[in-house]
Amino acid sequence: MDSDPLLPVPISYIAGSYFLFSIDAVTYLRREHHICGVLSGTLPQIPQQNVFLGLPLKLMPEEARLLVEKGVACIVDEVKAQKEGMRALREADRQKYLRELESQGAHAMRLQTSRKEQQREEALRKVEAKKAAAAAAAAKKTTANVGSGEEQPASAHPDDAADEQNNQNQTSRRASTTSNSTTSVIAAPYGTTMGITPATSHPPLPYAPSAAQRLPAPAVPASYPLFARLHADGYYLSPGLRFGCQYLAYPGDPLRFHSHFLVVAADWDEELDLMAVVAGGRLGTGVKKGFLIGGAEQVDDADSVRTFSVEWAGM
Amino acid sequence: MADADEAAIHLPSQDASAHIEIDLSDETQDFRMLSNISFLTDGSQASIPKRGEKDFEPNPTLYQADILSASRQAMHHALSHPRIHHPKNQIVGVYAPDGPAPPPQRTTTSVGGLESIAEGSGPAPAEPSPTTITTIGNVHPDACVYVANPKSNLFKTIGQADRWNRIWLLPEEALFMLERGSLNIRWPRSEVGFDEEEMDGNGVEDSGIPMSLQAAYAAFASRGGLNSERFSVYTGLRRLGYTITRAPGWDDDAEDTTGDDESTCNENARQQGGGAGLVGIYSRFINWLCPPSTNTALGPVAGVGFHRSYDDIYSKLSIIPWYDPTATPKAERSRAQAPYRVVFHVYKPSTPFKKSAPPAPDFRIAVVNARAHTSVPTMSQLGALLESTPLDPPSSEKMSRQMYMRLRHGYRNVILAVVDEGVVSYLRISEAAFGKEKLYKQKALGNKIQHRPKPKGR
Amino acid sequence: MTSPILPSALTTLISSFTRETSPSSNPSPTHKPTQHQTLSANPQTTALTLQVLHNLQHQQLWTSLQIHELHSGPSAAAADTTDQTQKTHLISGIPPHRLYTHPDEQFYLLERGLREEDLELERMFVLPTVQGQTWSLRRLAGVFDALPEGQDTEGLEGEEGEERAGNVGMENENSNSGSGSSKADNLKEYYEYRKQARMTKEWGGKRMLLAMVDRQMGGDSTVVYYVVQDGAVKPRQN
Repeated sequence: MDSDPLLPVPISYIAGSYFLFSIDAVTYLRREHHICGVLSGTLPQIPQQNVFLGLPLKLMPEEARLLVEKGVACIVDEVKAQKEGMRALREADRQKYLRELESQGAHAMRLQTSRKEQQREEALRKVEAKKAAAAAAAAKKTTANVGSGEEQPASAHPDDAADEQNNQNQTSRRASTTSNSTTSVIAAPYGTTMGITPATSHPPLPYAPSAAQRLPAPAVPASYPLFARLHADGYYLSPGLRFGCQYLAYPGDPLRFHSHFLVVAADWDEELDLMAVVAGGRLGTGVKKGFLIGGAEQVDDADSVRTFSVEWAGM
Repeated sequence: MADADEAAIHLPSQDASAHIEIDLSDETQDFRMLSNISFLTDGSQASIPKRGEKDFEPNPTLYQADILSASRQAMHHALSHPRIHHPKNQIVGVYAPDGPAPPPQRTTTSVGGLESIAEGSGPAPAEPSPTTITTIGNVHPDACVYVANPKSNLFKTIGQADRWNRIWLLPEEALFMLERGSLNIRWPRSEVGFDEEEMDGNGVEDSGIPMSLQAAYAAFASRGGLNSERFSVYTGLRRLGYTITRAPGWDDDAEDTTGDDESTCNENARQQGGGAGLVGIYSRFINWLCPPSTNTALGPVAGVGFHRSYDDIYSKLSIIPWYDPTATPKAERSRAQAPYRVVFHVYKPSTPFKKSAPPAPDFRIAVVNARAHTSVPTMSQLGALLESTPLDPPSSEKMSRQMYMRLRHGYRNVILAVVDEGVVSYLRISEAAFGKEKLYKQKALGNKIQHRPKPKGR
Repeated sequence: MTSPILPSALTTLISSFTRETSPSSNPSPTHKPTQHQTLSANPQTTALTLQVLHNLQHQQLWTSLQIHELHSGPSAAAADTTDQTQKTHLISGIPPHRLYTHPDEQFYLLERGLREEDLELERMFVLPTVQGQTWSLRRLAGVFDALPEGQDTEGLEGEEGEERAGNVGMENENSNSGSGSSKADNLKEYYEYRKQARMTKEWGGKRMLLAMVDRQMGGDSTVVYYVVQDGAVKPRQN
């Protein structure tokens, strides 16, 4: 299903942040390089919640730097690349791209219509089935719906698209049940292809940026040696502001594992406030995590990083 | 804030409602939970799934490897979900890189013998002059996408209409709508390599080529004062159903406004009077007879003389000056400096919102990049920020009864959105007036105040 | 604030009293007088160290307490020569019950039906600090480097005897309870494995307790203890 992207993976630099737009790149970097980033986009299928987010994936500068140093990725000045690339499109490129989109859109339309057709048939079959069975199924469905409704957060969503989609679905369902030759009747007045908003700009733009569109490796904070060391030790790292630290360190993919450490970096001779160490240790123990403080003995040498874990002693 | 998962274990779970408080977005969620939802087919099922169980650490079992691979597969699947627009109700926007401009006229200049399909004649403005921006209607100069067929409930709170019934969108609005799959933005012909010949003629700007999510980020995320931190806040609150608009403090050089009104200040002065009716007259008479001595250098702090009530004594004992947030602000107000400026006005989903006349916001938000500003804001930064917000005294009926609610609500308030690489934390800062809560007057109420809510840490 | 405070006459008195009573709680004959010498009225011993020592002895009920003066080790020497006056002291002693068990070690014990109470108590090191003291990663690393390798306390005088004594006591108890023989085997197996685990740092590397005294303005002399370990050691889950 997922295919590995061509290397180096282009990382888009936009508005001071590093983004990935390709799902293949996101999956690949997560699986092979333990780089998770932070999903920061809205999922179009469920746009009214903040629990599950979608593309683009935002990378910390540390993550982008690490990937560049490994030779797996390169940084692209995306604003420049877009502007130059789009302006340089020739008519043949445009036509080709539009044809591709059209065939994809037609495919999507076929999928949706056939799915609706299936649903309709299923519904008809259900109706034809025994009344008792139908009633039972209906009852089951309503209870299931009630159950899932309860889990929704209290905050109300007054608008919009969900209702919209409902309406759309209902109207089209109504249409499909009344008409006999569903596909053609629905499709005819509005055209036969779906409009598509692609996630990435390749195509029509080239995958690899030109040399002029490339940027140097990202500038990183002083905590980078510690970041790189923990990453090399197999930890998955994510931003730690929510827990009052610099990074959260996970022993495995954060999809499946709880984090082990609240990580704070310090310079080798930086003055440590012991109160912060105690506070970190206490906070960490309270959430079953360790507080990890560390730094590089000599800068620019990731191997000389020392780390110390702190937990409450319980006395 | 505690880890959602572990907090649940540690909390002495008083009731089931405690679990609702848990913010699921605290940690990465298992996308397998999402795959229960059947997309595309049935919108009614789009409820938030339950949180999955996570393990403490990896072990070499096949079982664990299988679950992880299933989780990743589910994530891949969810993130691959396409943004498609049914031709029946697709909303099409066109990117206007040069900002708001009137619609191109269906005429051409026909200069130089170019082929033209023009019906009329007369020169069309090649570029929008500064004056045309003002003539197209009440559109923000940072707007950069227009929608000719604004058929969506989202436009109730998003965008500004021009004289041609087109809705103009600000960069964050356009990006948000595109990202959630509600808007198909097209490149203008001028940006995708159409040559002069193709440009001229039918007055169509739409090239038909859709902007990808990637292209939209490149075009909008750093446009008109937007940055990725501000966009994270905007889109995060929009997703939750809030209406969010730019505040006057958006531009760094713009004068921040203060919505102060004098009316509430007078009320404060009246309360000093010593009560109404006969008691008031009596106490004023006593005060006239033996004016309270303000000299504490000699003798007891409470002063020598008649003391008719404990309140009298207590008020004399309160010799430490305190800051009254309701007092008329100094003429010289320090200016709120970025990033400690209100950049967003936020309205609850329940607040009736009218685009043409937005009501007073429910929340004011300043956005701070945690990477660029690593220390707690200084007193003067916070002070200037709070002064830029209007007086918001604790006035509700509930608060008039509960002192701690009043203290917590404060007299001015603002929300700091601290963004660390896409992860947003919200902190409410309010100006409490402890000096205004006379505990000795509370005491007179006796046992009436029995339930004192524990002040919650934040 | 960060400069060492010399013990007052009173604390010296208390400390010498403390020392004299300590043999009763731990009648190990192998203690050498010199050890006591360092523990007692050494003018270099700071009030801070004594305060933590007292807390360990009287509140936490530790035994066999010793004070160690940290001679600037190889890495600490690199720190800065101006800091020479700021001597670091370590305290070591035996807690009344086991304070720390690595999660994997815990699992190992569980697998063999051993309880933490079955194990002999071990000598632990305590680093006395006070709120407001200046510390750095370099200094912390220096302290860890000065700790004996692999938590091997055999280098300490008198340790051998204690351990043996503790061991004997445990075994006696086990045989009394009846199911002793297999448990003794398990224990033996555990100690064997522990030696190896300490070499490989499987159950964590060097560790010590960080004791911090709240002695600043308004401080109430509370002492808090945190387990600090060298390296990234996964947290305990209970």
